[in-house]
Amino acid sequence: MNGPQRGGVAGTIRFSFDGKPLLARPGDTLAAALLANRIGLVARSFKYHRPRGIMAAGVEEPNALVTVGTSGRSEPNTRATDVFVYDGMVARSQNRWPNLSFDVGSVLGLAAKALPAGFYYKTFFGSAKRWMFYEWFIRRAAGLGDAPTAADPDRFSQRAVFCDVLVVGAGPAGLAAALAAAEAGERVILVEQDSVLAPSLVRDPQDLDPAWAEATAARIGELGGRILLRTTAAGYWDDNLITLSQRLAEPGEPPAGGIAQRLWHVRAKRVVLATGALERPLAFAHNDRPGVMLSQAVRTYVRRFGVVPGQRVIIATNNDDAYLTAAALRDAGAEVVAVLETRPAPAGASSGFTVHNDTMPLTTNGARHHLREVSARVDGKIVRWQADLLAMSGGFTPVVHLHMQAGGAALDWDDASQSFLPGAARQNVVSVGAAASVAPVGPTPPPENPAKAFIDFQNDVSLGDVDLAWAEGYRSVEHLKRYTTLGMATDQGKTSNMAALGRLAEKQGVAIPEAGLTTFRPPYTPVTMGLLAGRIERDAGAHLRRLALFDVHQARQPIWQPLGYWQRPRAYPQGAETLAEAALREGRSVRTAVGMTDVSTLAKFEVSGPDAVQLLELVCATTVGKLAVGRGRYTFMLREDGLVFDDGTVWRLAEDRYLLTSSTGGADRMAVHLSYVRQFLCPQFRVSVVNVQEHYAGIAVAGPTAKAVLAGLIGEEVPRHMSAVRASIAGIPVLVLAASYSGERAFEVYAEASLAEPVWNACEAEVTAQGGCLYGMEAMEFLRIEKGHLVVGGEIDGRLTPHDLALDKMLNKAGGYIGAAGLTRPALTAPGRRQLVGLEAIAGTIPEGAMLVTAPGQPADGHVTAAALRVLESGSIALGQLVDGFARHGEELIATSPTRSQSAAVRVVAPHFYDTAGERYRD
Amino acid sequence: MTDITITALPAAPLHVFEIWSNPAAVANRFETALGRSLPVLGRALQLPAMRLIRYEPAVWLVEGEATGLAEILGSDGSLTAIGGGLVRVRLRGADWRSLLMEGGVFDAESKTFAPGCSAATVIDHINVRLFVESEDVCLAYVPLSYAHDMIHFWTVAAKALP
Repeated sequence: MNGPQRGGVAGTIRFSFDGKPLLARPGDTLAAALLANRIGLVARSFKYHRPRGIMAAGVEEPNALVTVGTSGRSEPNTRATDVFVYDGMVARSQNRWPNLSFDVGSVLGLAAKALPAGFYYKTFFGSAKRWMFYEWFIRRAAGLGDAPTAADPDRFSQRAVFCDVLVVGAGPAGLAAALAAAEAGERVILVEQDSVLAPSLVRDPQDLDPAWAEATAARIGELGGRILLRTTAAGYWDDNLITLSQRLAEPGEPPAGGIAQRLWHVRAKRVVLATGALERPLAFAHNDRPGVMLSQAVRTYVRRFGVVPGQRVIIATNNDDAYLTAAALRDAGAEVVAVLETRPAPAGASSGFTVHNDTMPLTTNGARHHLREVSARVDGKIVRWQADLLAMSGGFTPVVHLHMQAGGAALDWDDASQSFLPGAARQNVVSVGAAASVAPVGPTPPPENPAKAFIDFQNDVSLGDVDLAWAEGYRSVEHLKRYTTLGMATDQGKTSNMAALGRLAEKQGVAIPEAGLTTFRPPYTPVTMGLLAGRIERDAGAHLRRLALFDVHQARQPIWQPLGYWQRPRAYPQGAETLAEAALREGRSVRTAVGMTDVSTLAKFEVSGPDAVQLLELVCATTVGKLAVGRGRYTFMLREDGLVFDDGTVWRLAEDRYLLTSSTGGADRMAVHLSYVRQFLCPQFRVSVVNVQEHYAGIAVAGPTAKAVLAGLIGEEVPRHMSAVRASIAGIPVLVLAASYSGERAFEVYAEASLAEPVWNACEAEVTAQGGCLYGMEAMEFLRIEKGHLVVGGEIDGRLTPHDLALDKMLNKAGGYIGAAGLTRPALTAPGRRQLVGLEAIAGTIPEGAMLVTAPGQPADGHVTAAALRVLESGSIALGQLVDGFARHGEELIATSPTRSQSAAVRVVAPHFYDTAGERYRD
Repeated sequence: MTDITITALPAAPLHVFEIWSNPAAVANRFETALGRSLPVLGRALQLPAMRLIRYEPAVWLVEGEATGLAEILGSDGSLTAIGGGLVRVRLRGADWRSLLMEGGVFDAESKTFAPGCSAATVIDHINVRLFVESEDVCLAYVPLSYAHDMIHFWTVAAKALP
């Protein structure tokens, strides 16, 4: 016996397996190339570390899982049967130490009797301390391949596509379906997970000339159809949405076109599933040994790859298909020693091979790398054959995964083929070819030694484990699955589920369909995280929004800060300044002279029309109706439950035109809210609400000399506090709003965003001339905390009422605003509510986000919403929410952050630390 | 080789043209003044100095010279400037349809999405309005804050279209 053989020309593609340089031929899968290089031992099983070879030739392969690629491109648990060799491929075996041939973990196999199904549940229980002990060992043993730790250097694409007909599977049935649809003028997409069309015709050319497939594909292309190879329909979702994962480069291979994989989102009017059928293994003792393969897989290696996996072959079958494998092996020069046929005579009688009817393999013997012997009970006597290959066929299971993911109402049981066929469908989908009908099979006798008769090869689940689960009371197929882990490996039980169902039905004394089915979950084959999470660029899909004046800021080298979706300058350090030093310098400039900052991100809505004021009085909880033209007012908005969800200002720009501003972070929410009010609550209003957030760039100028700066810029009288004027700066029309967020006299200057740069430059020149500077988010935060201004997401977190925030005096006494009814709920005025307070440090620096407790170990009475350093004086201050906070001014608490090991003693005070009378706003 | 050129166009006057009452009367006034009907949903109207794209059921995007439209609206609607907040990106070349499928959810490859058509969609989580100017040119209206990333996304994606 010589094991696998390949004749003909030598390979030309260099690759390595476990560091050994090898050669492959173009078109080889890794599995074919390993067999061609006479490598039988490819992997170790998950639980017992049993030696495993190659069993299949497609995506159903449960054994031959390897890691392919290096560094960030390393892809673990890749099926050797589903990766095509490329020059320079690096493949490694996994789940073994120190090497594949000598694996210390295989000692677990010797203790198999002590590690049955449910071992974990029976062993790892007890106190939490024990679990910490167990966990170390479980984590060491868990998993197969190692996930790469380096970043994936590749790009991934996600794109949509629409079609009339999606055909999954480019075998004869799929090609025919696609051609028919294309000829009918329909938009067709045909996908095939293999690298070639109709791979089954290469295996079985007697069915149809493989040239037919090429001709058919060419015709489909001429008619405008799209054919995608190396593409797997991984998931079938509602509304005929199918996700395809396409390999543009093989696992671990640097992509030639820049994109490694593409995720297609297909919306199809109709789906044709030509997904074929998977061959089932037979269950007998030691059926997992290298050299035991599926029959059709053997034929594939012989006919497609020119590799003969063994020279002395035993065929074990319960159906006619395996005789084609016997013939293919004979034609390739191998010796078919015997056919073990489960069906009674005369099955196989005319095949020309030595056939033993009513016979199943009993067991196998061999070394770690190869099979040596097969035995069976023939006519009551045990017969042994020397053999290096056992090709088995237990019948065929139609691939119904996508049909069931599509919401297939049921599967129909076909007794002749002992398989489930697609039943009624809830979506517009039909199955054709072998996915809809497979050949009949004969009986499959139970093994004599079920403990070593594996059915789930990857997770080492044997028929003995199924029997044990039954004996221990697990009756439901779902419980059986979880107790034994059957079908829970990366192959999701493609080759195991039917055997388990058969055994369970036998135990229950029912027919297989009555034993139940587990759920067919996507993806059909594993999908890499990169494909799901990756895009063209790493930040794609999570873009940071750029300010209109981004380039202007960038030239001033700020520290950038992501704020919500926006990227904003946090500070403009000078020289070697730290963030805190820069922020304090900028803040002091605002307090003592003048500063300017970019406020473009504020939400802004133009509300116009005769009913504009009515809409605003509904949205805003403060009085808006009496606002004179050219005047503005602070306002806040409530949800229907009466809780504050945003705040801002409202300005009357003209008789029937208002500008409403609100928070940056709540901008999208406010847009939705206004749309809801406009479209659903008040469709009769004659009003237009337009989001102008990005139309206007905004510049805030604040400080004692801000008035002089503005006067110099606009050349006319500046508006008084909470007034608005239209003016011109650097020849650009601007809207000037006199409003302050810093506690100083301040102005917001709005210009059309595309014209804002000269306005900014003019403002900056004037501010600099007045001894001022730019300031960023950090200084803005210090200033607003000192003044006690609220921020959405901090103090306004959707849980507080206007009263809790000390805003209730501003409520529109006439009512009628959204949330007015909600505010009447007694719970919103009951004692024990959290209320806005100020906090000043007695000792230490107040940690932002800290809990407020009365003593160490006591439950939290509230928390710090925002903390800052005093701008002109020294000391740490904060705003916070505190239970019954209004009545606790003067109380001393501890602000503690255990996760950061920080704490500070604080005193509760009013939430205003600067200019409590508001005198600095006004002239 | 991908056939597509991506160009950010200079800022242009853009307005929201919204009708809140008497839509039929406004439509009549529009037709009387300009000799053409207001475009229906999914369509645009191209005039020598102005383009109108139906944006929402009662809202149109006006690109170009908008004077005179306020008079047509009268007290039945309003005109609001939004041009500062949108960047017009021209996608020129035979592959613009394929490019728009990248990160997209809209069937830009459909033959029914023909010159004169418009659409509102999301591409790579960014809200984008589309107008088919000709078989070889599509205009995309992209929010200013996302325009840099959107153009970068398209530029990279264009190099590897299927």
